[in-house]
Amino acid sequence: MEKRRIVTLIAAVFILTATVVFAAGSGENEEAQYPKGNLDFVAPGGAGGGWDLTIRTTAKVLKDTGLVKVSMPVRNNPGAGGSVHLTSLQEVKGTARTITVYSPPLILTNLNGTTEYSYNDVTPLARLIADYAVYVVAADSPYKTMNDVMTALKKDIKSVKIGGNSSVGSMDHIQFLIMAKAVGIKNLKEIDYVSFDESGSAQVLGGHIDLFSTGLSEVLGLIESRDLRALAQSSDHRVGEGIIAEISTCQEQGIDATFVNWRGIFGPPEMPEYAVSYWRDIFAKMVKTDEWKAARKTNGWDDAYLDGPDFKTFLGEVNEEYKGVLSDIGMLN
Amino acid sequence: MESFELLLHGFTVALQPMNIMWVTVGGILGTIIGMLPGLGPATGVAVLLPLTFTMGPVAALITMGGVYYGAMYGGSRASILINTPGDGAAVAATFDGYPMTLKGKAESALAISAIASFIGGVFATIIMVFVSMPVARFAVKFGPAEYFMLFVFALAATASMTKGNRIKGFISMTLGLMIATIGIDAQSGVKRFTFNILELQSGIDFLVVIIAVYALGEVFKSFKNIAEGKKTIQTGFGKIWISMEEWKRCFWPILRSSPLGFFIGALPGAGGTMASLMAYNNEKQMSKTPEEFGEGAIEGVAAPEAANNAASVGAMIPMLTLGIPGSGTTAVMMGALLMLGLQPGPLLFQQQPTIIWGLIASMFIGNIILAVLNIPFAGIIVRVLAVPPRILYPIVLGLAFVGTFAISSSVMDFNLLIIFGIIGFVMSITNIPATPMILAVIVGSNMEQSFRRAYKISDADLSIFIASPICIVLIALTIISILFPIIKNIFEKIKK
Repeated sequence: MEKRRIVTLIAAVFILTATVVFAAGSGENEEAQYPKGNLDFVAPGGAGGGWDLTIRTTAKVLKDTGLVKVSMPVRNNPGAGGSVHLTSLQEVKGTARTITVYSPPLILTNLNGTTEYSYNDVTPLARLIADYAVYVVAADSPYKTMNDVMTALKKDIKSVKIGGNSSVGSMDHIQFLIMAKAVGIKNLKEIDYVSFDESGSAQVLGGHIDLFSTGLSEVLGLIESRDLRALAQSSDHRVGEGIIAEISTCQEQGIDATFVNWRGIFGPPEMPEYAVSYWRDIFAKMVKTDEWKAARKTNGWDDAYLDGPDFKTFLGEVNEEYKGVLSDIGMLN
Repeated sequence: MESFELLLHGFTVALQPMNIMWVTVGGILGTIIGMLPGLGPATGVAVLLPLTFTMGPVAALITMGGVYYGAMYGGSRASILINTPGDGAAVAATFDGYPMTLKGKAESALAISAIASFIGGVFATIIMVFVSMPVARFAVKFGPAEYFMLFVFALAATASMTKGNRIKGFISMTLGLMIATIGIDAQSGVKRFTFNILELQSGIDFLVVIIAVYALGEVFKSFKNIAEGKKTIQTGFGKIWISMEEWKRCFWPILRSSPLGFFIGALPGAGGTMASLMAYNNEKQMSKTPEEFGEGAIEGVAAPEAANNAASVGAMIPMLTLGIPGSGTTAVMMGALLMLGLQPGPLLFQQQPTIIWGLIASMFIGNIILAVLNIPFAGIIVRVLAVPPRILYPIVLGLAFVGTFAISSSVMDFNLLIIFGIIGFVMSITNIPATPMILAVIVGSNMEQSFRRAYKISDADLSIFIASPICIVLIALTIISILFPIIKNIFEKIKK
């Protein structure tokens, strides 16, 4: 018994020493050999969601095109609209292995007080794609254009019930309010917004809500089958093909505002410079590949590539815009 | 008869050797995942997600489908044998399954669970072949007010059927409703009872509570029993089958629970847990011997088992026909469809008949394969009862922690697991039933949110809750389910 304990002790000491030596050695070489070993790709939401789809597709394209040779396993770290992962990222400050994806909730969760961390606590590497908001009604709805809805709201602020899948003060809500604000509706706070977990499209189909504010990809099938009618989409240009390309923009209808559901790739805060320049270079190359273009087409994503520094400037701008809307509805924290 | 032709075409797809292999692999994987606490069909399907890139769409969907209903077969194994459901949908199987095991009838319980699952799955698939579109169209008639009434009905039925002290049942339910209010309120954005803990903002996952109360609770209880020398192990095992008499008792419950489960499953947001609990309540109230329920009535295992399998089939309907994921599992499956470049929606059946009908046909094949595999498999798994408790329960404890971590990779959940495990143990020694709490945790948040949505939509006019025929029917059912036991008592007294 005694002997075994000594052997265990020696083994433990040996492993510990080896680890320390190895870690020290790899630290010196990391810059030159980056990326070496496994990377850690993380979706801050659940499997099958928008963030998950984006990062898995990115990892696949990077692998298929041979741009990144090391393995890029994807894991999920969901919770509190991505804020749980944002906190985890603070624990790997200054490291180079974690690659993650975020979209407008990164900014909204900070502004509405869910988390103390903001876009300043991550390292923007590249903005990759954009989805747009689409505002849909049931096929038999009296509303034909976005302006019909706005006129009704101006007459009676409670007359149109807006639904979305995210909670109050989050994306689906804000993307509608940006349009309402643009047409000069003042009492934004009084607009009834009803949050549905996942089933918003069933609710608008069944006529339980008047308008469903969502992302184009969520309701593509129902628009194509003409069960739902799209009043407008939030881009500054028409997107897609066929019936989707027939959806006019809010701007075309005289509402001078846009909303972009951008998605970009981020590293941990204070990511080392060699890793930042590595990824900026990789993504600049990736967006030009045929594989990436094909993946964008499959998923209906618009190209929205921006390099890291420009992306950071962009984040600062949208931060101010969202702040304005949230303060109008009294949710700025 | 167009559906029939398309189905035959589907069979030519599903019967290809590779696809038979995929559905078997998916089914076995699902059965195993379903047995482990915390690992439900959603986790199983998520694990397969990266693989779908390399598989074709048909193979990917068939495998995922296999995992989904395979998990329904596997989920009840642990419920019956060691009183630890792996998933919400398997909770109802503990009510009578575990008492059957304690009476040495584990073999019958396992057999009827596989048989009922098989019938429920096949029955629901047949309905799906013919009426998936009408069912989906009907399901969207459920607005917030209708959902609220549905949840009230489910909760009332369970609260009124609890054994023993009603006040204690009520305390348990209230505790559950309180737990369900934790997190960010989606209708106002306000943080409730989160104590500045980030992880609590998305609320407490009901799976954590289930694992804690059942698995940890069972472990604590068994420590107590071992210390007092009460725990015995079973050494002799019979054949995994049921007697003719048992079959007769289960026949109608299975046939009634299958369509019920299918429909509840097809409602986005209701799901297998609700389906199995409602089926159980339903059978208890219709039974001539309701006092046997909870003491090891075999139909109390058959009904929820048929219902949850039927629900897993039903849940695919809103996902495939409308592109609306109705449950955690179908949400992941929909993600997979999108990755494969398929757009779920009303046109999917026309645009991709091979894929859709291949999937439906594979459900028939998958259910047959699973039923055939599960009977001999149960013969092996039942021997877990021969494992001495001092070996078995540490393993259960370990699995509980692993399963909890698998839910959302959160260390915070470990703390919750221990807290709720202790709460569950205290409840068990004070004879407060855990089931009303569990059910309240599962439906509480949905119930409250539905009420708030309806209230907002109607501009605070409560008449929305009686405005539709569906609401009125549900209210009537709720009243009946509360009064039924009382009326029956009165009648019996008059008879005497």
